[in-house]
Amino acid sequence: MTRPASPIRVVVVPSAPALLPEHAGLTDPVAEVRAAALDACRWLAAAQAPVVVLGADDLALRVGRHLLSTTHTGPVQALALPDTPAAGELDALLVVADGTARRSEKAPGHLDERAAPYDEAIGRALADGDFAALAALDLGLGAELLAAGAPTLAALGGLLGGRTVGEARTTYADDPYGVAYWVTRWTVSP
Amino acid sequence: MTLRLGRHRFDDASLVMAIVNRTPDSFYDRGATWAEDSAFDRVAQVADEGAEIVDIGGVKAAPGGVVDEDEERRRVVSFVERVRTAYPHLVISVDTWRASVGEAVCEAGADVLNDAWGGADPALVDVAAKYDAAVVCTHTGGVTPRTRPHRIAYDDVMADVLEATLSYADRAIAAGVAPESVVIDPAHDFGKNTVHSLEVTRRLPEMVATGYPVLVSLSNKDFVGETLGVALEERLTGTLAATAVCAMAGARIYRVHEVVPTRQTLDMVASIQGRRPPARAIRGLA
Repeated sequence: MTRPASPIRVVVVPSAPALLPEHAGLTDPVAEVRAAALDACRWLAAAQAPVVVLGADDLALRVGRHLLSTTHTGPVQALALPDTPAAGELDALLVVADGTARRSEKAPGHLDERAAPYDEAIGRALADGDFAALAALDLGLGAELLAAGAPTLAALGGLLGGRTVGEARTTYADDPYGVAYWVTRWTVSP
Repeated sequence: MTLRLGRHRFDDASLVMAIVNRTPDSFYDRGATWAEDSAFDRVAQVADEGAEIVDIGGVKAAPGGVVDEDEERRRVVSFVERVRTAYPHLVISVDTWRASVGEAVCEAGADVLNDAWGGADPALVDVAAKYDAAVVCTHTGGVTPRTRPHRIAYDDVMADVLEATLSYADRAIAAGVAPESVVIDPAHDFGKNTVHSLEVTRRLPEMVATGYPVLVSLSNKDFVGETLGVALEERLTGTLAATAVCAMAGARIYRVHEVVPTRQTLDMVASIQGRRPPARAIRGLA
């Protein structure tokens, strides 16, 4: 197996069902995060390589496939946890994962004071390309905080462990509906 | 099915036709828009609220003071001209049964002749044909214009509605009106008691099945008041319930006093039927 010479492109986007076309309304409640996610997917597609979509469940994979449907014309392979790709064979990886859903009293899971620090740790790790911090996420606490993306982010940290991050850029970080969303791009040493 | 109202074309949307009375004595607004400027303000308001059509009338439907052709023309013709100029995208309908008035308003820019009296003046369809206007074919049970129904009986009210509106539609098309510009209307309360009006509402799918676009005029009418036992100013809820039932059945045009509540009712029904997406869906989807 020959290793790709160019860096691996990795993009993280949220797994919000509101991004799927079957939930479209006359106005888009997630327009801003959608625009950021599509931009990042275009950047991923610019690698001109097969894209692997990684997510915790069928919803995450459907969101990922949908975001790629208008941005990427090449092959797409979708993997649901516990399956993960081998980092050595990756060119472009789309990770569909988000943070907790208990960030406010209006959040889907109501307010839990532990949600903000938990998301802050994820946000920092994404911004810094800190694989070890992601791999070390407390998944028990993540489940309590309805952080559906935590297992995926931990798996991402694990599969890239030992590599170095080049560029790390978070273009969107917000929680418009009490769920933490990020759109992040990394380049990772092959 | 495409519906053409004069120079305006519509695919499958539900259309709201707002009532604009140039009368001193109509039953619901009691002369509120009798002054021309008040009527013009009413047009501005309903256009702003999203009505696609205004239905301008110069003669109240119920019995009352005589309004001859000259007086009817004075009330509506120059007003139609003014609305046409100010609102080129609005469909202008005129509620009249008289061919001579129809001719004058078509000259002034009207798109629809809404004949609430079921073809009482046989020359009206010739005018509609001449000006390529749409025509609304209503059922009145054969009564004379501006009379109330008195002890009218039908073996089968919907059969009579279908027979009358379809033969009127045939006459219109034979006179040269475009088939895509023919609308049928069961005319609630016209030539009907409350039981009749409830039955035509219940059986509206039989009209929709003809393929002609169906107009319903339900707004604050006596059949609503009698059904609920409520006074004139308390009929909106019943009107909207009837509106929802007609929308489920597939009616296309709704002639109304209250534009916004009607539009919300129609939007709600369309979304329940899966014909319209929600304005914005995030509940459970974040």
